[in-house]
Amino acid sequence: MRKRLAIAACKVLRFVGKLIGRGSSLPGQIALRLCPDILGRLELPPYVIAVTGSNGKTSTVEMIASILTAAGRSVVYNKEGSNQIEGVATLLLTNATAGGRVKGDVLLLESDERWAKHTFKWFHPTHFVITNLYRDQLTRNGHPEWVYQAILPALHADTTLVLNADDPLVSRFAQGRAPETVRWFGLDECSISTKEHHGVYHDGARCPVCGAPMEYGCYHYAHIGHYRCPGCGYARHATDFTATAVDLKAGRLTIDGKTDIQLAFRSIYNVYNILAAWSACALAGVDETAMAGVINNYILKNGRMITFTLGARKGTLLTSKHENSVAYDTNLGYIESQPGPCEVMVIVDAVSRKYFTGETSWLWDIDFDRLSAPQVKKVWLCGRYVNDLALRLDYTAVPPEKVVLRESISAAAEELKSSGDLPLYVVTCFSDRDKLLAHVQRD
Amino acid sequence: MELNILHLYPDAMSLYGEYANVSILRRQLEAMGVTVAVKTAVFEDELSFEGVDLIYMGAGTERVQKLALEALRPYADQLKAAVDGGAAVLFTGNAMELLGASVTDAAGKEWPGLGFADYTTVESDRRDPVDVIAHSPLLEQAAVGFMNKCSVTHGVKTPLFDRLTLGFGNEAKGGAEGYVDGNVFATHLTGPVLVKNPELLDLIVRRLFAAKGWELPETVPAQPHQREGYAVTLRELSARIKG
Repeated sequence: MRKRLAIAACKVLRFVGKLIGRGSSLPGQIALRLCPDILGRLELPPYVIAVTGSNGKTSTVEMIASILTAAGRSVVYNKEGSNQIEGVATLLLTNATAGGRVKGDVLLLESDERWAKHTFKWFHPTHFVITNLYRDQLTRNGHPEWVYQAILPALHADTTLVLNADDPLVSRFAQGRAPETVRWFGLDECSISTKEHHGVYHDGARCPVCGAPMEYGCYHYAHIGHYRCPGCGYARHATDFTATAVDLKAGRLTIDGKTDIQLAFRSIYNVYNILAAWSACALAGVDETAMAGVINNYILKNGRMITFTLGARKGTLLTSKHENSVAYDTNLGYIESQPGPCEVMVIVDAVSRKYFTGETSWLWDIDFDRLSAPQVKKVWLCGRYVNDLALRLDYTAVPPEKVVLRESISAAAEELKSSGDLPLYVVTCFSDRDKLLAHVQRD
Repeated sequence: MELNILHLYPDAMSLYGEYANVSILRRQLEAMGVTVAVKTAVFEDELSFEGVDLIYMGAGTERVQKLALEALRPYADQLKAAVDGGAAVLFTGNAMELLGASVTDAAGKEWPGLGFADYTTVESDRRDPVDVIAHSPLLEQAAVGFMNKCSVTHGVKTPLFDRLTLGFGNEAKGGAEGYVDGNVFATHLTGPVLVKNPELLDLIVRRLFAAKGWELPETVPAQPHQREGYAVTLRELSARIKG
């Protein structure tokens, strides 16, 4: 009875909430209060795919949804990214019959790393994709091992893990599990691989299991690559779904040696997101031709990359995440790989849009040396924390005469608009990007 | 004028950009005419504190912090002897806990500390990352920064900061924080604390000069942007208290 009441209440509240423009967590919150074990009393679709990890969750989920939908599956998923338990409750109950059967062929959930254990206490995903573990929002998350510990209780024996074999911190989730409950995706050594580690810090320097120094056959980026611990034998697992060749210049990715994919966005993290989505969809029974048809030249709808015009300049905003050095590094790497002279703008004004912090330690983990590339003619530093940025750049190879400090974002935008015509790359976070976009003409 | 810095375990204990503490200290000393040599060590290295003027260690994960403790414990007596001989120590983040009598992990296992002081630390599965404004009798201005700990430290008799207007102290919210004894400095503030706090950088530099018997120049150089950055962070954090 309480179950039916909770479902009905959730549906009504969600309907009213949508009319008045409210968010998606309150209806679920109230339903959970009416019937605390409601999530354990639903009948779920045959496939329940969860995606978590530091970076790439939203993009991976979006691509999985697109592929499955194109393959004729009916997908229920949290588009709005409300990935905590209340948001998940709202999603499930508003898509459930009065008796509690969740409609659709596939339930697809982007899951917050720290909340997964609460959500999956009540039901277990059939497949759990884990993309990567990075230093990400440490002011909330503590550190990557803390996040690892937080995810562990969400992983149940009846779930198939779909893991990034190239991330030694993620691969550890397979330890102690039956091998048939783990599937692996990863990149072969290819054109983007290097023998040396690149970046300011190295979270794979030591084995996460025994602490001995780890050996890498190759690095793809950061601590992602082919690793092996000579101390305890912990090593990268062979992959079930493999990027066998990557050519970022030509924008081409080859999966399992036979399927070529054109990349709309030529970035290494796009490659991994595609590979994660590919693995999940293959495990859900979608055939390769259907997957390739959707993924080929796929342009993400979540708008992480925005092109615009500012005066005589063509601009590209690469949405990064503050407090996430890998997100910054991949965007800086993208800029570094672009031919032709350009200028770059970095904005740090509000560290987060969801909570307050004045913490800027993460600037020291970003590889700003990449901005010393000769084609980068000028680096504009903007926002409230412009001094912290300037001090950080003082410890890089970027020549000081290339660096311009402007605390005011609108003043910088005016200046860029009225002078110069070099292309502009802007690297900043969701929390700050609208402060610039308000001054530009979006394409 | 030559000065030797030993940076312990930077490949493991630099979770929040702590290496920058050594970078800015080196630059400040060099701007004052000092020739600075920085050596780094990994767990497997045999350590020698011979001729070392400052030993620095930053923060690590709880697991890696225990590895650092195990690696350093055989050298506890040598480290103490170096301090008695005039070497300074700066341990930030959870490296601070190593200097005490013990660290008890979340599973209840007690790890003997290096025994510089008799304080004890207990970790839990609760973490309180928090912005910090800290006040020390050694500093005219407040120190700012961030704390990312899952532990409580009991029994510090000589804290570095006597109160916090923002953040968790050793034992309590707003309470005394860190540890200081002569030239041994420890604080749970994480990340580049010397970058964020020009006055704390200045204090360490002055102590190093005094330990060497060097005369301080009349004007101490300022690192560009550092004071401005500090002022903004202090303003933002202070607004948070009032707000």
